[in-house]
Amino acid sequence: MAEVKMRSVSFPQYAEYSCAFKYIVEQALGCKYVVPPALTKRTMELGTKYSPDFVCTPFKTILGSMIEALEAGADTLLMTHGLCRLGYYGELAEQILRDLGYQFDFINLSDYDMSKKKEYIRIVRRFNPKVNYARFLVQFMEGLRMVEYVDEITCEYYKNCGFDPSGGGYKRAYQDFLTAMRTAQSRADVEAGYRAAKRELQSIPLDKPQRPLRVGVVGEFYTVMDAFSNLELEQKLADMGVEVHRWMNVTNQFLRYGSGQKNLKVKIQDLCQYDMGPTSTANIWYARECAERGYDGLVHIKSAACTPEIDVMPVLQNISADYKIPVLYLTYDAQTSDVGLMTRLEAFYDMIHMRKKVL
Amino acid sequence: MEKQIITIGLPRAMLYYRYRTLWRVFFQELGMETVVSAPTDREILERGTALAIDEACLSLKIYLGHVAALVGKCDYILAPRVSNFGRHRSFCTRFEALPDLVRNVFRGEKQKWLSYEVDEEMKRAGEEDALVELGRSLGCSAKAAKRAYKAAKKAELAEHKARVQKQEQLCRREGMKVLIAAHSYVAEDPYMGRAVTDYLKRSGVIPLRADLTDRDGALKHSRELSPTCKWELNREILGGIALRRGEVDGIILLSAFPCGPDAMVNELITRRVKGVPMLNLVLDSQSGTAGVETRLESFIDIIRFQEGKL
Amino acid sequence: MEHAYLGIDVGSISTKGVIIDKKNHILSSQYIWTQGDPIGAVKELVRLLEGQFDKERYKIVATGATGSARKLVGTILGATMVKNEITAHAVGTTTFYPDVRTILEIGGQDSKIILVENGVAVDYAMNTLCAAGTGAFLSSQAKRLGIEVEEIGDYALRSTHPTQIAARCTVFAESDLVHKIQMGHPREDIIAGVCNAVASNYLNNVGKGKKIVSPVVFQGGVSKNKGVVAAFERTLGCPVIVDPNGHLMGALGAAVLARRGSGRQEFDFSVENMEFRTREASCGGCSNHCEIICVYRGDQLIDSWGNRCERGAGVH
Repeated sequence: MAEVKMRSVSFPQYAEYSCAFKYIVEQALGCKYVVPPALTKRTMELGTKYSPDFVCTPFKTILGSMIEALEAGADTLLMTHGLCRLGYYGELAEQILRDLGYQFDFINLSDYDMSKKKEYIRIVRRFNPKVNYARFLVQFMEGLRMVEYVDEITCEYYKNCGFDPSGGGYKRAYQDFLTAMRTAQSRADVEAGYRAAKRELQSIPLDKPQRPLRVGVVGEFYTVMDAFSNLELEQKLADMGVEVHRWMNVTNQFLRYGSGQKNLKVKIQDLCQYDMGPTSTANIWYARECAERGYDGLVHIKSAACTPEIDVMPVLQNISADYKIPVLYLTYDAQTSDVGLMTRLEAFYDMIHMRKKVL
Repeated sequence: MEKQIITIGLPRAMLYYRYRTLWRVFFQELGMETVVSAPTDREILERGTALAIDEACLSLKIYLGHVAALVGKCDYILAPRVSNFGRHRSFCTRFEALPDLVRNVFRGEKQKWLSYEVDEEMKRAGEEDALVELGRSLGCSAKAAKRAYKAAKKAELAEHKARVQKQEQLCRREGMKVLIAAHSYVAEDPYMGRAVTDYLKRSGVIPLRADLTDRDGALKHSRELSPTCKWELNREILGGIALRRGEVDGIILLSAFPCGPDAMVNELITRRVKGVPMLNLVLDSQSGTAGVETRLESFIDIIRFQEGKL
Repeated sequence: MEHAYLGIDVGSISTKGVIIDKKNHILSSQYIWTQGDPIGAVKELVRLLEGQFDKERYKIVATGATGSARKLVGTILGATMVKNEITAHAVGTTTFYPDVRTILEIGGQDSKIILVENGVAVDYAMNTLCAAGTGAFLSSQAKRLGIEVEEIGDYALRSTHPTQIAARCTVFAESDLVHKIQMGHPREDIIAGVCNAVASNYLNNVGKGKKIVSPVVFQGGVSKNKGVVAAFERTLGCPVIVDPNGHLMGALGAAVLARRGSGRQEFDFSVENMEFRTREASCGGCSNHCEIICVYRGDQLIDSWGNRCERGAGVH
């Protein structure tokens, strides 16, 4: 083959990470990135229509997002591997899309043995055979740096945005940061955007009581982070005047878990002997951590039929009983409504609010 | 004074249907006794349903009912963590969660538990090492535990081979044959798939089982239908379908509501296996079998009609 | 003039209202069907409440709204307090039963459990996925069996051998029920079975992992069903209190919350004669196509809601 056409790559919409996928695909792999359209009701309708009934909800969301990315001009779709059902998303989604008649190239990481370094080079070459691998690595790491920044700023945002007296200044600063990440083309852009966001957020004086209501959020990897999928649970809680704490994100689970967080397991030995599922150890550890720090409540988020998170629930019930911390269990499916969620959240807020006054 | 014999409780659910011989012989060889819970009945199902998270699969509900039936009736109850035999040879995450799940659900009980861990991909922990370790933790020597494992594995494989051979014989018989594609713990449980097998037999149909084929061959052939399927038990079923699809008149995809792997793999099967009548049957805790029988009856009618025998 | 407080609870099936004085004594109370028209129901309710109310002696200084149509009704009535029904029920019940530890509630679409310690709700749960075991399920099964919802309790209590009905999911339960009918089970046994299924489904779903401590109060439309009450008492092994005013607890809670709140706005009974209408607008800002509800008094837009983002803020 003499001339290779530049690929138009897309990866399903996921939380606020599209900026990092874009950076890696465009800067490190030298391909064009097709940003999948923002998730909407139509995405869910498409995904639900073509998915099997009892599959977990993120599959439906991702399938819908893939269809919209193909409509937006992507010719190459990337899908990840994974330790739960996620690891099989790729093959089933590809089959469904092919049956629908879409033409595209599919790079499914489940096809590769991701424990072998050589395989990574093969994957990179498939995207673009002309890539210099050493340079790729440098820019790939820059993309990961962006992920860390997104997680850090997002974490700070939800902790504080409920106490912003400036009428939306905090939220605007966060949105500006995300825009800066989406348009970043170099390491300098990334660093500048991050520093500006830090500065901006710190410059807004917060109106926070000495001891605000604090809620810890745990749950399934996709739904807990994706604001569209969890119907903006964190924003809703924050808007009621709650400090929202979430540990689970890509940085903590993947980029730092191996080095810094291995000992989480040791800390919950009395509750669990083994890993109960891919993210179970972290979720159980963090739930108990919140309880020990004296938080006012926990929210457990999962999509319908998420096996590992269903299995974590008996442990959370025991933590709830031991520490007398209320847990709101939320299951999301394609039909979950804003109104239903709001009723549950308002009641949860009222309860922890009144409880705090008495205890 | 006579030494008390240690008793090990085996819940008659989930992996029991795969490992019953391995476990029984292993503990017997070590001078211990195994106690198996009685076949599933309404009480077991109801107790399990009350103990399990509502959204959990029917198989787990039945499993917890069996565990409850054994609590307090034996020295230990066995709940292993079987994660995988290597890459793309995994089990549903529920099998990873089982030991801690039962410990948390039955926290108020003074029951002692036994577990072992099979996780070759992440920890290079194979079945043999895990069971030898288990034997040692019960006070046996490594040598004795190793010997017990060898005997147990041999018995397990011999039993499986005999069952596969019986399938081969059934396959050569004259008559309408229907392949049941289901996990063994679904196919053989009296409150789940047993009614399906019984009904087929009563209707003069020969039921075959997709998972009862030579395991190595099945794993290889599963790739023809699904190259990245990662679940060992589903790969055995896929392999069984790939091997037998030409020899049967119909296939029944039988699963317990809402089984995670089956929800996806069965969808793929219906999209990729063409030219043979297929019935997708999802079982929940129905107390009657009438609904299932109606669907089976019409499925058999369709096959007979297509073959011009009706 | 003495101060009084109005509480209104508008659910999908029924609309309830009470007026209380500052010692929480009920001065006036009403209960009517919503019949798919919350605005009409509220106007009718206000008219009925007015008839029992001594306007010479009291004036209403604060109004609370709750229930699934709380927002709409709160706008129309000029409510000083709009609260979700879970909180309203908890507050209403603990006001009248200060010792209560567990509140069970099964309504038309929703079911919930509230755990109380020292008069304060400390934990609660609501049904997650399906409507199996709620009032809607009971009435559809009654219809299938050809009896009135109100008769279910009496039928159930006559049964000596309740039939086993699978209850996890409405679809499975219905097919199971059909087979039981065709197999010739007596009607009262099937009805008792349905009542048992409602209770056990509730305890297996909403009540899972919750420690149910006596005194237990049971509320919501289904609490009027003696068969389900008996099933709960049998399963829980303790008496289950059903207050004759149980259906009013949400409205009572809303009135109490309005009394406790800081907002004050004298209530004007003339709303019963005003014209209100709602209009549904579909926002074209993005492909979410949020449905925005606009409420008008006469020709004047008094409120709108439903948009998920700022893009729809200006659409009326």
